[in-house]
Amino acid sequence: MNANKPVEYNAGHFDVIVVGAGHAGCEAALAAARLGCHTALLTLNVGRVAAMPCNPSVGGPAKGHLVREIDALGGVMGQAADRTSLQARMLNTGKGPAVQALRVQADKAAYSREMRRLLFATPNLRLYQGMAERLLIAGGAAAGIVTRTGARFTAPNVVLTSGTYLRGRIIVGEALYAGGPDGEQTALTLADDLRAWGFKLGRFKTGTPPRLTRRSVDFTRWIPQTGDAARRAFSFLPQPSIFWGDDPRRQEMCWLGYTNERTHEIIRANLHRAPMYTGVVEGVGPRYCPSIEDKVVRFPARAAHQIFLEPEGYKSDELYAAGISTSLPEEIQVLLVRSVAGLEQAELLKPGYAIEYDYILPRQLTPAMAVKDCAGLFSAGQLNGTSGYEEAAAQGLLAGINAARRLRGTPPFIPGRADGYIGVLADDLVNKELLEPYRLLTARAEYRLLLRQDNADARLTPLGRQIGLVSEERWRVFQAKMERREAVLARWERQRFSPRDENMRAVLTAAGTALPAGGVSAAELIKRPEITAKEILALMPDLPDLPADELEEAATLIKYAGYISQQELALARAQKKERRLLPDDLNYAGITGLAHEARQRLQEVRPRNLGQAARVSGVTPADIAALLVYLERRRRQTETAKAD
Amino acid sequence: MALATPAGESAIHVIRLSGREAAGIVAACFTPLNPERWAESDGFTLHLGRFHDGAAEVDQVLIGKMPSPASFTGEDVYEINCHGGMLTAQRVVTACLRAGAAAAEPGEFTLRAFLNGKLDLVQAEAINDLIRARTEMSAALALAQLSGGLSAALREIRQEILDILANIEAGIDFPEEETDPLARTELLHRLTIIKGHALDLLAGSRTGRVIREGLSTVIAGKPNVGKSSLLNALLREERAIVTDIPGTTRDEIHEYVTVGDILLHLIDTAGLRESEDPVEKLGIERTWKALNLADVVLLLLDVRDAQRGELSAEERMVLTEYAGKVIVLLNKTDLLPDGEYRPPLALQTEGLSLIPFSVKTQRGMDELALDLKERVLAGKAAVSAEPRLANVRQINALENSLRSLEKAEEAMQASAPLDLISIDIRAALEEMSQITGDAAEEDLLTCIFSRFCVGK
Repeated sequence: MNANKPVEYNAGHFDVIVVGAGHAGCEAALAAARLGCHTALLTLNVGRVAAMPCNPSVGGPAKGHLVREIDALGGVMGQAADRTSLQARMLNTGKGPAVQALRVQADKAAYSREMRRLLFATPNLRLYQGMAERLLIAGGAAAGIVTRTGARFTAPNVVLTSGTYLRGRIIVGEALYAGGPDGEQTALTLADDLRAWGFKLGRFKTGTPPRLTRRSVDFTRWIPQTGDAARRAFSFLPQPSIFWGDDPRRQEMCWLGYTNERTHEIIRANLHRAPMYTGVVEGVGPRYCPSIEDKVVRFPARAAHQIFLEPEGYKSDELYAAGISTSLPEEIQVLLVRSVAGLEQAELLKPGYAIEYDYILPRQLTPAMAVKDCAGLFSAGQLNGTSGYEEAAAQGLLAGINAARRLRGTPPFIPGRADGYIGVLADDLVNKELLEPYRLLTARAEYRLLLRQDNADARLTPLGRQIGLVSEERWRVFQAKMERREAVLARWERQRFSPRDENMRAVLTAAGTALPAGGVSAAELIKRPEITAKEILALMPDLPDLPADELEEAATLIKYAGYISQQELALARAQKKERRLLPDDLNYAGITGLAHEARQRLQEVRPRNLGQAARVSGVTPADIAALLVYLERRRRQTETAKAD
Repeated sequence: MALATPAGESAIHVIRLSGREAAGIVAACFTPLNPERWAESDGFTLHLGRFHDGAAEVDQVLIGKMPSPASFTGEDVYEINCHGGMLTAQRVVTACLRAGAAAAEPGEFTLRAFLNGKLDLVQAEAINDLIRARTEMSAALALAQLSGGLSAALREIRQEILDILANIEAGIDFPEEETDPLARTELLHRLTIIKGHALDLLAGSRTGRVIREGLSTVIAGKPNVGKSSLLNALLREERAIVTDIPGTTRDEIHEYVTVGDILLHLIDTAGLRESEDPVEKLGIERTWKALNLADVVLLLLDVRDAQRGELSAEERMVLTEYAGKVIVLLNKTDLLPDGEYRPPLALQTEGLSLIPFSVKTQRGMDELALDLKERVLAGKAAVSAEPRLANVRQINALENSLRSLEKAEEAMQASAPLDLISIDIRAALEEMSQITGDAAEEDLLTCIFSRFCVGK
């Protein structure tokens, strides 16, 4: 017997095994377990589940939308972030209803503890520490996992959520070593095993900035950044922060500072030692996440770049230096950090680094996060070539839900692009050619105005209810909110003001808008850009008080009704193609009139409907016409066959 | 909706509308002479009446009414017969677009006919090829057909829209980064400027001065070699003044004509020779300019001069400067004694198209058509058999783009939030991208990441 090969033993049979307990894995395991599946969750380190190896924050544009959607469906990220919130800010408040987004600075350690508490408290869920080494596949279907130490877990559904851990390589200047993010170990053999099974893998790169010791920073040179004065939370069932409770004045602070010419000189003088430029890095890095050396090279005219110092925890001594992600040699990192005003004495707590890792080419997946050529195998999170905790969590939730549905024999849950950013993400991922790690942006959503963060519950909670993840409490709260909204909207339509109404005239004059010639409804007045709903509400004292965010949402529906219906119309037109289903067994190679590239891409992606086919990279309108002709021919041939 | 007759000059043009909304569009633009007959007709009848674009009358037209399901496509079909001349046809098309019609995709009528069960499987075999060929040709060639200046102007407008949108989007998706968002006044100012540019282009396209279709073709040759006769032979009507006095064609004459199935935008020029006459001199200068811009140059030589090796300096210059796009027509072979034509030694250059020709007897016309077609297929010269189609779509897209820009401008003035304004700017970008054939979303992201320093 080989001395290196451990004796395998049967570690148990499960309904679902989830490999990796990061943001994707935790959502996947919790969803599956809550849906009644006997679930095992494997992690390299039980003490670091749902770790945040990069920035200590959750949310922001598109990402914050996603967290609200995860919450609306019954996922956990929103509540975990709310409970461990150090500071919360609504971004983009001046830019319109569609793009407002919450961003929460979270205490990393507390977030991980919170998630672990949840995992331990969930029935049907078993947490286990071990490194998955081999995937078991039997008869073309997932069958289980074997760990490095010989534990064999069997299950008909396996969800891979191994993040950036596959063949991870850390790069700090000339220093190169195998490793996972933030000092963790890397999974070396699972990637080889996946390749051996015939899955296609690619290689990406990402990076992180150095961490500094708080007490070594001179904050007099930094501009404080405070949280919002109003209480903000992701969850539609808001949880108080364990750090500041319901009192936003007790939120933690972040600080803003700048690099300077000297910083840039140091970087320029050492570019020959920057792995990004010496050819050491093989993986493709994201454009939206450039290192400081990249910024200095690409934007030479800029005399300064922003740095945000963000606490990694409550009163923690650890600061994250957002804006100076780097893989320069550690020696240079010290110099560049200390060239910044207020950081002259700064101590490096952890150097910044670049990490390269293998990822699964996501066109091998369905939008349900299922691997197409292996029944019962799912893949979610950064392993699929995405970046970001939120993108990972959303995919994990999808994978967990769909593993459970497969077990029950129910059709997969696939959110559409108009249902939420979660749908945009899943759809983009399987249809588009990934040229860099995928990050969600609001610019990627064609129905942005319909996908607001304020209506995530209206869009998704009914779906979550059908799926079975929405608790009685959540459902009650949601229905009550919808009733209040309907009531206030109906009342605004009904309430009319006489042109001679003194109070109304006073409000309009104060707002600097024209007085009406005839009678007007409250809704008509709210439509005016100069007027806020609150001002009109003051004229209707008998109306029950509405929470501020609900009032704002109702006003949005009135004020922007024209744009909203315009997008709904565009959506309805696009839906026609979505309803045209494509048979699963279409042999694209045999369809005349399809261009070579389209044939290949369609065969790989195997789109579910005509709308999706049109979004596959490399497919042209002419290909869609050819596909239509083929389908019609096929239909007629089937009809003729039946008639015979 | 599409023009169903070949582009160019003809006695009538037919514009075909198909679809559920066709009836409404026709109703908005057409006032029948006999309203009762129009209303009561069950179809497959012709109706005379006036066609108008808003309040402006366009033409007196004859409309064929073919209701679903017996029509060609299986949908409600209307065929508008208007008077010949591309300007009239263009105006009918524009009126339909404004009333809500969409320019048909290449091969769309045939596709619809098939999908609605009006064509059998055998006929369907050919459809794919047809559609692919036309789509690829029209997509790739539509832009190439436009004169360099116009295509540059379109791209410039698109780039400017892209820039504005990228600025807004960068600020939205990276709110805390240094994206230097434009102030609203600056955004409004830039929107107004682009809108002006789009309007200028569109105004040009309506009169047919700017958006021209077809293979831009210059007829060159020394005075009296038969250029105007060739033009007239192609047009089959006396249009240019033909006299025996050298230098009668002093201005450029523009015409559209199809040779084989290739549409030519013909430019007849002043003859090439040294001249002291200031007016003629100006004409000759224009000729050289036209030669520079042309896709194809038809160099008309007198076959007898060519055989004697007597080529003028100007003729030699055309041959060397424009070697790649010259087709030499050795004219007046009818004046040669029988069988005396032989390829002139002076013109034995590899790859040069030489066609023995006679305007009078039409000798060489088929060879010319073949040569033009080969050039198009080989990608040496760009044009499609149905260039109007592509260009109607271009005009349609440009108009939609303009409408979206106007809406964005209004929203900006009404202090609407940026995310709403961006909806219309994005729509404008997508319309423009249809003309230029570029991917809107990918370009937008590239623009955001290359222009703005964003990231942790």
